[in-house]
Amino acid sequence: MRGKDVVLSRVGITYPNGFTAVHPTDVTVKAGEFFSILGPSGCGKTTILRAVSGFVQPTEGRVLIGGEDQAGKPPNQRPTALIFQNLALFPLMSVRENVAFGLEARGMPRRQREARADELLSLVALADQAAKKPTELSGGQRQRVAIARALAVEPAVLLLDEPLSALDLKLRQHMRAELRAIQREVGVTFIYITHDQSEALTMSDRIAVMNAGRIEQVGTGDEVYANPASAFAASFVGEVNTLPGKVDAVADGHVRVATALGGLTCRNPQSLAPGADCLLFVRPEALLPVVGPAPNRIETRLLRRDLEGPFVSLHLQSVAGGVPLVMQQPNRGGIEAQDGMMAVAFDPAEALALPPGALARTGVEEAA
Amino acid sequence: MKSLLRSYGRGLTALFVVAVLAWALVLILLPQLTMLERALVSPKRSLDSSLALTLRRDAATCINVLQGYLDPAPEAAPQTLAVPSPGGMAVPSMGGMAVPSMGGATATGALRPYILQCDRADTHKRLVSDPERTLYLDEVFSLPRLAVRETDPIPKQIETAAQLQTIGADLYTRLLAEEATRSPYTLANFGTLLAPRLIPIPEDRRAAEAASIENRLYTLVGARYQADGQIYERIGLTILLRTLAFAVAVTVLALFVCYPIAYRVALASRPEQVVWLMLGLIIPYAIVELMRIYAWTTIIDNQGVINSILIWLGAITEPIPFNRYPATVFAVIAYTYVLFMVFPMLNVMSTLDRNQIEAARDLGARTWRVHTRIVIPHAKPGIAVGCIATFMLAAGAFSVPRIISRGLQSEWFSQTIYNKFFESENSNAGAAYSLAYTFICFGIVAAFMYATRTRLKDFAQVNR
Repeated sequence: MRGKDVVLSRVGITYPNGFTAVHPTDVTVKAGEFFSILGPSGCGKTTILRAVSGFVQPTEGRVLIGGEDQAGKPPNQRPTALIFQNLALFPLMSVRENVAFGLEARGMPRRQREARADELLSLVALADQAAKKPTELSGGQRQRVAIARALAVEPAVLLLDEPLSALDLKLRQHMRAELRAIQREVGVTFIYITHDQSEALTMSDRIAVMNAGRIEQVGTGDEVYANPASAFAASFVGEVNTLPGKVDAVADGHVRVATALGGLTCRNPQSLAPGADCLLFVRPEALLPVVGPAPNRIETRLLRRDLEGPFVSLHLQSVAGGVPLVMQQPNRGGIEAQDGMMAVAFDPAEALALPPGALARTGVEEAA
Repeated sequence: MKSLLRSYGRGLTALFVVAVLAWALVLILLPQLTMLERALVSPKRSLDSSLALTLRRDAATCINVLQGYLDPAPEAAPQTLAVPSPGGMAVPSMGGMAVPSMGGATATGALRPYILQCDRADTHKRLVSDPERTLYLDEVFSLPRLAVRETDPIPKQIETAAQLQTIGADLYTRLLAEEATRSPYTLANFGTLLAPRLIPIPEDRRAAEAASIENRLYTLVGARYQADGQIYERIGLTILLRTLAFAVAVTVLALFVCYPIAYRVALASRPEQVVWLMLGLIIPYAIVELMRIYAWTTIIDNQGVINSILIWLGAITEPIPFNRYPATVFAVIAYTYVLFMVFPMLNVMSTLDRNQIEAARDLGARTWRVHTRIVIPHAKPGIAVGCIATFMLAAGAFSVPRIISRGLQSEWFSQTIYNKFFESENSNAGAAYSLAYTFICFGIVAAFMYATRTRLKDFAQVNR
């Protein structure tokens, strides 16, 4: 099996009711790459996937797979295989029949296709479950059956639509590693759709961050995490403290921002000019407790301490302006507030200012 | 039971149990048992005792009427001619039609006009208890062969009739006692289903008749045969087979019509389209069944819509007699019961995850394989239930064949049963027919369920 590259050239999708699910988009997925499209639900990521698999025809632009234009090709003629969010295993067929289905559809004789199915089942370590019905398997096993079924048709591109979302956390973490290993082994291009940023960060070679029908940033996990290109990318990928403010002064790649907490210094990747409105983003792990004077020192009140296991989340409120802040510390003890007061600071290199834009909605807001 | 008690309390549960028992007893068990009893008992009038009773009554009536001819004023007599013997009417006379000849009074030199009851006052009566053999009352019960003869003098006739009356009365008492001790149960009523009837066909048309596929099939299963140079047909059996074949064909037709509809509504339409499709399905069924069928008669009649249009267009000059074609009955039945096929299928199909269809297509399956491997296996319980419902309704269809064919074509078995009960007044044969029909249909359904591996629990899943 060899992966092929996927090129979306000005692909835009507008539904008949006038809703534009995907604005004209250019993306290139390299052959053999594990590529994730990360975005909140309703951002159009599944629509892009369906356009690649052929269930949706783009209203404009072209989808090229291995350099070949896919316009007008139905799903069963494309070199892609789709793994559905609910897996869509065929419940009335045995696991072996499920895996062999694509070969059956291609007219392969029974003996041959069953041998091939067994081969694939041993690839996903399910050789002994071949005769069972999918409902008799555990969630993780079903997952692997779906992968084997998709790989059976030897696709050049495997499309995965949040297949891990139904699993519990432990299994999900285990399956991430397994998916990555399978992808390395078979060398097929994976396009993986998810709204879970940790899934995207752990598995992907590259990530596209998507919001409201637009891809906001494409890059490796490290790039996206450390250097988000937009306010949305910054707020959606990982946790972040967002401080609105105004650019005060600019000097050699850094910027001084006037916020409710006072003036704070950080990086200026998009060369904001003085006087511009901006958002200052600082990751919770970049905040450190300080005792003496330090740049970007903030006096805070400790509101709550959440034990997360390997680290603790401290919910703070700044004395000036009463702005809520979150910081994370390794769980080693010893960081105790004095009379509920705590001074924190961050390295200007570990924070950045970006022009204002749409932010990812946090869980708190969603619940409200 | 325990869960019932817990959810509804003692009072409601008791009420529920009583209602279920009453339902099972009154609506299922008792009617079937009465049917069974009737089916297993010979019709009263075919009993030998009832023949003896008829003899006695006929003789008595005959005496009464003859008394009038002893009088010197014979003009008053003909009035009594019309007196029907109470027991007599129901007995079909075996030897020729006993139509009273109103006019021909004394043409044969008789001393009186023809009197039906005197004619029937004869010990040489054919027994009807055994239609297969030709047996006579006088021979079987060793009675003297005695009859009222028209040519005898009236007093002699009265004397003979009086003798016959005594013979009849004695025999009746004797036979009644005998029949009371004998088991009344017999399978003869079921046997009439297989009874052959002579089909009068002129020699020159026999070859053409025998060549028809229907008749060839009947011959093949032994429902039609030739004996003594005559064609015989086991009419009950042929009607039964014909009806069953049509019911199966209606089911198959309905299946092929409904599957795409159900698929379309359940899996291939947007919600706003489904509303309209469902309305289109349901509205015709909001009309009373009879009205729906009558609507068809306005379409297929000789002066109906189709014929009028065809004549107006000049395509035909004579109307097409649709009422005479079995296909018409067939199509109308399919139309009438189509919904019973659609809904079970629809219910099951709408539980199918559309992703499975997409997954199959994505894996390279064409439409045909998507249906045979994904949709049909999933919808199988619904298809089976729909087929069973449609088959049972079609097999029991009564109003459609009656209204559409209006006697212009061979009847359906349901009509045969009706006719046995209410036209020929042989409710015992009717009971036997309906019981036999019930069991045969049951058997077919069971065989179908076995063949399609439908289990009873699948029925519960249909409405899941």
